[in-house]
This record gives sequence, C-alpha cells and structure tokens, in this order.
Amino acid sequence: MNTTITEKDGKYTVSLEGELDTAHALEVEQAMQPLHDLSGKDITIDCTQLDYIASSGLRILLALLKSAKANGNKVVLSNLNDEIKDVFKMTGFIDLFEIK
Amino acid sequence: MSKLNNKPNSVRNKSSIAILITAAVLMLLISGIQQNYARKQIRNNLERNAEMELIIKAIDVRHSLEDVSLALRNRSWEFEQYLPYPDSLFAVTRRIVEENPNFAGCCIAMVPNYYSEKGRLFEPYTLRRGEVIETCQLASEEHDYSINKNFILAAENDSSFWSEPYHDEDDPKVTLITYTFPIYDASGDMAAIVGIDLSTEWIGKLLNSRHMFPSSYNLLLSGEGRLIYRPDGEIKHKDVDQIMGLVNDSTAKHTVSASGLVTIFSFVDWEDHTKGSVFYYTPKSLSPWRIAVINYNDEVFGPLIKMGWINLLLTLAGLLILAFIIQHSAKNLSELQQANLEREHIESELNIARNIQMSMVPKSDTSALREDCNIVGLLEPARMVGGDLYSYFIRDEKLFFCIGDVSGKGVPAALVMAVANALFRSVSAHEANPARIMHALNEIGCQRNEQNMFATFFIGVLDLPTGKLRYCNAGHEKPFAIGKEIKLLPAKPHLPLGVMDDMIYTAQETVLQPSESLFLYTDGLTEAKNESHELFGLKRIEKGLQDCIENESITPEKLIQTMTHRVNGFVDGAEQSDDLTLLAIQYTPQEKPLILYENLTLNNKVSEISKLNAFVQSATAALNMEKGLANQLKLAVEEAVTNVIDYAYPNGTEGYIDITIEADESRIRFILRDSGAEFDPTAVSKADTTLSIDERPIGGLGVLLVRNLMDSINYERTEGKNILRLEKMYKFAVH
Repeated sequence: MNTTITEKDGKYTVSLEGELDTAHALEVEQAMQPLHDLSGKDITIDCTQLDYIASSGLRILLALLKSAKANGNKVVLSNLNDEIKDVFKMTGFIDLFEIK
Repeated sequence: MSKLNNKPNSVRNKSSIAILITAAVLMLLISGIQQNYARKQIRNNLERNAEMELIIKAIDVRHSLEDVSLALRNRSWEFEQYLPYPDSLFAVTRRIVEENPNFAGCCIAMVPNYYSEKGRLFEPYTLRRGEVIETCQLASEEHDYSINKNFILAAENDSSFWSEPYHDEDDPKVTLITYTFPIYDASGDMAAIVGIDLSTEWIGKLLNSRHMFPSSYNLLLSGEGRLIYRPDGEIKHKDVDQIMGLVNDSTAKHTVSASGLVTIFSFVDWEDHTKGSVFYYTPKSLSPWRIAVINYNDEVFGPLIKMGWINLLLTLAGLLILAFIIQHSAKNLSELQQANLEREHIESELNIARNIQMSMVPKSDTSALREDCNIVGLLEPARMVGGDLYSYFIRDEKLFFCIGDVSGKGVPAALVMAVANALFRSVSAHEANPARIMHALNEIGCQRNEQNMFATFFIGVLDLPTGKLRYCNAGHEKPFAIGKEIKLLPAKPHLPLGVMDDMIYTAQETVLQPSESLFLYTDGLTEAKNESHELFGLKRIEKGLQDCIENESITPEKLIQTMTHRVNGFVDGAEQSDDLTLLAIQYTPQEKPLILYENLTLNNKVSEISKLNAFVQSATAALNMEKGLANQLKLAVEEAVTNVIDYAYPNGTEGYIDITIEADESRIRFILRDSGAEFDPTAVSKADTTLSIDERPIGGLGVLLVRNLMDSINYERTEGKNILRLEKMYKFAVH
C-alpha cells in the first residue's frame, strides 16, 4: 500500500495505490495526517491504483473530508473503480464526496 | 350529516302527507257516497211512509165523517116524522146535539115558505155553548139562510156535503164545518136542509194522533184551500200559512211521488229558516179536501246528519291514528335503516379490521423461499376479528415465530393482538433471545393496562444453520414436538403477558433434528366444543399427530390439514366459541457436499487482517470466483473480523478468531468463532447512510457493509463463544 502526496499550483493530490484494508489503515492515516492542517488548499485523491477499500479506509477519507471542510477546502475523489464505487454507494459516501 | 338526514326526512314527510291526504279523500268520498245513498233511502222511505200515513189518516177521517153522516141518515126518519109539526123540530135538533157530544150545533133550514104559518124562513137551531145547550129559531130577514151558499148548494144538488170550514161566531178560535143534507117529506119533495155543525177539533185529534217525527203535523185543507183544522197549539213553527200558500199555489214547484199519488214540495221557513217538506194529496173519499203532512228535515235527516258527524269524527280520529302510525312506523323504519346503516358501517369496518388482522399474519409458508424450514399457520377468529395471533419471519438465518391468545374476543382482543404482533416484530428485529423479547413485550403490555387484558404467548427462535431452538413460554399451551414420536416441549409456564411487570422470563433450549416438526395451537383447539359440550382436548390432538406420524407425513401442511379436519369433524356445526389458531413448523436443513473447507486462526490484531485477506482470496480463487465477488467477500469478512477485534475483545485482551470457510457448489459460508465478550452484530442498528458530513459519525459502517455484501448473516452465542455465519450464494463454475 503506497500513499503519495504531491503539490502542484497550490493543489494537493493524494495517490492511493494497492489495497486499503484495515491492516494498512493506520499507515495511510498517518501518511495523510499533514493534509488535515492545510488551509485554502483543495485536495484531490487519485484512486486510479486503488484496488480495494475497507471501512477503515473510508473512515480515513471521512476524517479528511471533515477537517478539509472545516478549513474551507474541497476534497475530490477521482478515478474510482466500479467495486469501490459500489462500496461508496452502499455506505452513502457517494453523496458526501465530490467524485470525478 | 344534517344535510344528508334532512332529505329522506322530507321525502318521508311528503309521502306520509300524501298517504294521509289520499286516506282522507277516500274516507270522505266513501262517507259522502254513504250519506248520499242514505239520504236517498231516507227520502224514499219518507215518501212511502208519508203516503201511507196520508192514506191511513184520510181513511180515518173519512170513517169518522161517515160515522156522522150515517148517524144522521139513520135518524132522517125522525126529521120526516116530525115534519108536520114545525115546533117539534126544535126538540129534534136539541136531542141530536145532546146525543152527540161532537156536534156543536144542529139546524133544520126549511125550504122557504114550507110552513105557511111560520113565514118564509124557519130554522130551528140548537147550539152547544160549552156546557150549555141553547135552542132557538135562528132565521130572520137579517139571517137569511136561503141565500147561504151551503143551503143553495144542498138544495140545488139535492145531496149531502161537507161545507168549507168557518170560524165559530162565538169563539173565533174554534173552526167549524157543517155537514149538510136534505130531508124529504112524505110526498118525496125536499122539505128542509139539515146542517150539523162540527168542531174540527176532533178531526185534528184524529189527524195528529201519530206521526213519524215529533215535530211533524198534518193539515186538512178544504176544496178552497182553507184549513179545516188548524193545529195551532201543537205546532212550534208558524209556517202553516206559508205552507197553505204553497199548497194552494199551482205555479209553485211541486214534485210528485213515485206512485203519483202524493205531491211533494220543500220549503224553508220564513222565520227561522228551518227546512221541511210537505206531502199532500187529495183522497178520493175526501175530495176536494186535501190532506198534508209536514216533516222537518232536521228530524228526518237528523240521525243521518248525526251519523255524518260521527263518521267525520271517526274519520278524523282514524286519520290521526293513521298519521301517528305512519309517523311512528316511518320513524321506526328510519331508525331501522339507520341501525342497518350503522351495522353495515360496523360490519364493513370489522371487515377492514379483519383484513388488516389477516394481513398481519404471514401469508405464505416459507418453503417457497427456503429449503431449510417450512411453516404453515392458520387463524380462524370466532368473530369477525379475534384475539389470537401467530407470526413468523426469518432474520439473519433465524426463524422467529410466536403464537398467542389475547384474553377475550372481538375488537378489544384484536387491538391488543395487533399491538402484540407489531411489538413482537419490532423487538425481534434487534433481539434474538426469546426471553428478552418476551420481557420487552411484557413490560410494554403491563404499561397502561387499564383493561387488565393479558395474553398467553409462546415465542420461539430457531437457528436455521444449527437447528437450535430457543423458546420462551408465557402461560401458553405447550407445543408438540413431532419427530419419530410425539412429545410436549418442556416449557416453563411463566405468567401470561400483561399480568406482572417484573416477571422474569427465562428461555429454554432444544435442538431440532432434521425434519422434526413443531405443532403450536391456541386453546381454541383444545377447547373446541361439540354440540354435547365435550372438549376436543389434548388426547385428540395427540391422536391426530400420531396418525400423521403413522402416515409418514409430518409436514406442516399435513399437520394443519389433519388437525383442521379432525376439529371440524368433532365440532360438527356447533358454533365456534373461540378463536382457533394453529401453527406448524418443520425443520428441513439441506446437507450438500462441501467442495471446499478451509480454516484459519488469527490473533485479535489488526495486523492479522492481511493474513485473513490472503486466506479469503485464496479460497475464492480456488472456487474460481470472479474478482468482483471475491473482493466483496474479502471486504465482508474483513469487516466482520475487524468488528470482532474492535468489540469482542476489550483493549489489551488477547484472543483469537477462528475463521472457517466452507463451500458447496452454490453457497459459500464463513464461520467466525471467537471467545470474546458477547457481541451480536446482527442486533446492531443499521447505520444511517443519509446523514450529512457533519452528522455522519466516523465508524459504524462495518456491519452495514457485511449486511450489504452477504446474503445472510447469522449470530449464535454458544458455549461462551460468539459464532457468526456469513453466507453468500454463488455459482460454482469449472474453468
């Protein structure tokens, strides 16, 4: 499981790669911690390489969304595969996030 | 409401009035026709009777007049004998008057110059003045009888006749008539005319001796139309002159009786306007005299008029009674209609209630949906709605079922039943322990139980994967378990629901063997009565079940069918006294050969999840599952295991989680066992996925995902272990 954060033109992109299961949740959460303190920066989470996500992974995304919203930032998810999209649908997360 | 009611009322009033008017018109018409007919009859009778009366009275008068003339004729020899002695004629006249009290006077008027010695006129005369009888010679030049009309008539006609009536000179009230007849001397020449004066009073007595009506009276008129007898004293009406005028007026409008004998006319009294009729005729024997009878309408038609009034009063009374009856019956009718309407209302509402109640009990047996159990229920309320209930449903591979009997029957019981049914379902949605379900029901049932209703209840929870049956009884009849033999399920009785709010209910357990059946019923079965008030009883139930075993069919359909048939045959048309409810369940687990069986034991650490995922992945790969489904299963199992790690083991406790994967060709099952604290994920409320970001809690998604990803989840706590079964249907395909 790889988590890569890049900054470009004041915008952040998080690339998630691999399977975000409960075992890797803590690791990803820690990797994304810096994003919680950003102000005025929009965040795009690129899920092109993300194969799998468990509820622990969803929790990380939800936590990020909450803090970004408090800071006035946008969180955009991009390139979700169908299985992950289904999980988002099941949990109602599809309505919470802006998905590209 | 009032608008609706007014219309039929006014229609009813209108029709009542129409009936009344018709009845009134008919009754008046009938009484009018009757009156008319009766009037005609009375008139005809009057005519006949008057005619008869007049004829009889004429004969009477005639007879008495004849008596006079006969008496005189018989004495004519006396006159003739004494003719040669003029002075003796005085004595003759005196004797005649003396001998006949009716005679007022008697005169012998000699033919002028009969006795040369007596001068031209000679008329011996005797007169009765009260008690005194006077005799004198009446004729003088001033009283020249030879020019008297009667004398001339008698002399010229040479015959006897009765004179016109005239007033007595002494007493004008007395009317006299004179019978005049000639007498002859020995040579046969006319010698004198004898006149006998008669007071008409005795004729009056004859005439008015009897009458048809109290005020009726007779008149006798002379040829010149003068009254021979004037019945002054006896007549209350003063219309005699008027009547005489009418009788004498030939131009007046008179009719003639049917026989043509009597002439009739009506009159209205000038003074008091009473109406009357006059019948008169001229009898041959009395001609030219006329005899009349006067009757007054008020007396003739009096009884008829009285009858008319009575009729009218009776008609009115009849109409009043009719009106009352119509009003009353219309009221009754409308009340009846109203009552019918209300009953229809209630019935239709009861029908709706019945439909609602029937919709509460599960309709179809589960065999169509499930292979591992089969359940059939029957509810037959004694009335439109009843207080019995049964219910069942399957949640998380557990069959929840209950049967109950609310005290009483009809609507109140049905309401409680509906509440109990709803409660059973809502409590069971999060609770799989029958004792706890029972406890919740009892607690709610005891609250506000002012009607002191109670319900016997039996709740069972059958774990379909294992056949483990947990049950709790609250005063209900013990169910039968039917396997190779019949036995009553040992069930602690407990108190019924709604009796004691702190009652402690405990659950009991048994394990159903494959194809074992349960038979539950309400007291409507045991207490079904036949016409001789015998009860159906437990023995007959056992016999029925025994027969099912012998026939090698203990399917729920067969059990219910047999028992229904038996009880109906037993009751045989007697009225169903109580609600009847039957419920039969058969446990039919399907054992299919496994094509995969894998086991993995993990520590309760998050880091172990990778191992788990690899384990699941290899199993799904071995079953040739496509990646999507494989990922779904992996996610579901991961979430379930994460839950165990998070909730079953408090922080710091070490434990293990045992995961078994077994699969046949159509089903894959994950069995998670752990020895942590009791945690039933199936009892966790469903997470709300519609909340906004701010409201959304972080967490609580695990069970939601498991439920969504798997076909069924099933939890059991057995021997200090949490056992969670996750199942998914799939199609095994060989690649």
